[in-house]
Amino acid sequence: MEKLTDNHLFGILLSVAVFYGGMYLRQRMRNNWINPLLLAIATIVILLTFSGIPFENYMKGGSVIHAFLGPVTVVLALPLYRQRKLLIKHKYSILGGIVAGVVSAIGSVVVLCRLLGLNKLLERSLLGHSVTTPIGIGISNTLGAVEGITVVSIIITGIVGASVAPFLYKLFRIVHPVAKGIGLGTASHALGTTKAIEMGETEGAMSSLAIGVAAVTTVIAVAVLQWLGWY
Amino acid sequence: MKIFKQLLIILSINFAGELLSKGFSLPLPGSITGMLLLLIFLFTGILKQEQIAETADFLLNHMAFFFIPAGVGIMVSYQFLKGSFFEAVAVIVLSTLLVMIFTSLATQFLIKSDEKNNGKTNR
Repeated sequence: MEKLTDNHLFGILLSVAVFYGGMYLRQRMRNNWINPLLLAIATIVILLTFSGIPFENYMKGGSVIHAFLGPVTVVLALPLYRQRKLLIKHKYSILGGIVAGVVSAIGSVVVLCRLLGLNKLLERSLLGHSVTTPIGIGISNTLGAVEGITVVSIIITGIVGASVAPFLYKLFRIVHPVAKGIGLGTASHALGTTKAIEMGETEGAMSSLAIGVAAVTTVIAVAVLQWLGWY
Repeated sequence: MKIFKQLLIILSINFAGELLSKGFSLPLPGSITGMLLLLIFLFTGILKQEQIAETADFLLNHMAFFFIPAGVGIMVSYQFLKGSFFEAVAVIVLSTLLVMIFTSLATQFLIKSDEKNNGKTNR
């Protein structure tokens, strides 16, 4: 088995197969809570662990897929550019809200990690949990943190954010569609945006705008923290 | 043909981002510098969105797939989570709730005060 999987094809084939499986399952069960990415990661981890196939063998093909994160991150500029009119219309409220969100994201991770006694490496890995995955991976790498933990934390954030949003908005009397969308996009990126789209057109557009603005704001905030010598 | 031209543009921007990040030792990974570069190019009109649209949309629509290997990486970094798994999940969940509450409350507050001010000047 070790010899058979010691090639580039194995990792690529396995990734495509499990991801397709996850997408198929989601479509079949008509359940948006099925996350093909999380399902794919879990399946591959379980499979590698129990079959004894080394992680390095999977990563031969995996690193080929991983290499595409560069261009995927670059093209994130496009959806942000497409939402420019909405951004300009509500610029102060949107920027103000997102800056509040980014500050509370970084602040709450730092405070909570220290309160619960998590180590520095975990703190760094969780710092980018609210941003979109490629940016989160970028931040994680810049801080010398653990990429895998960051990715899983981002997915958990997305699922939690999207499921609690209706309840939180009722509790805190958030009624304005712009505020709802910005909150979802800033806190829980693309997964939150799927919920925002269900709420309405303005909510959806605002949420996808917030993904990009929050990502850029977080990148700047982390760069400032590094410059100040925090990390 | 078109796809390759678009891919060439995207990859070149990615590469330029890497060069800038390494060359100036920026605290940003090359891919993020590349994203900022593309944003500048689009806003200044150096690039039109049609020049990258199809390839960019393909990558954007299938983004999740490319995160699989990074996520699987958790299996070799599991030791960092040992003994603090539930604490880490608690941090993620609590932080997510706080971010959503603060962001939406701040945005709603700013919009309402903005509308109020505009209302006054109009009167």
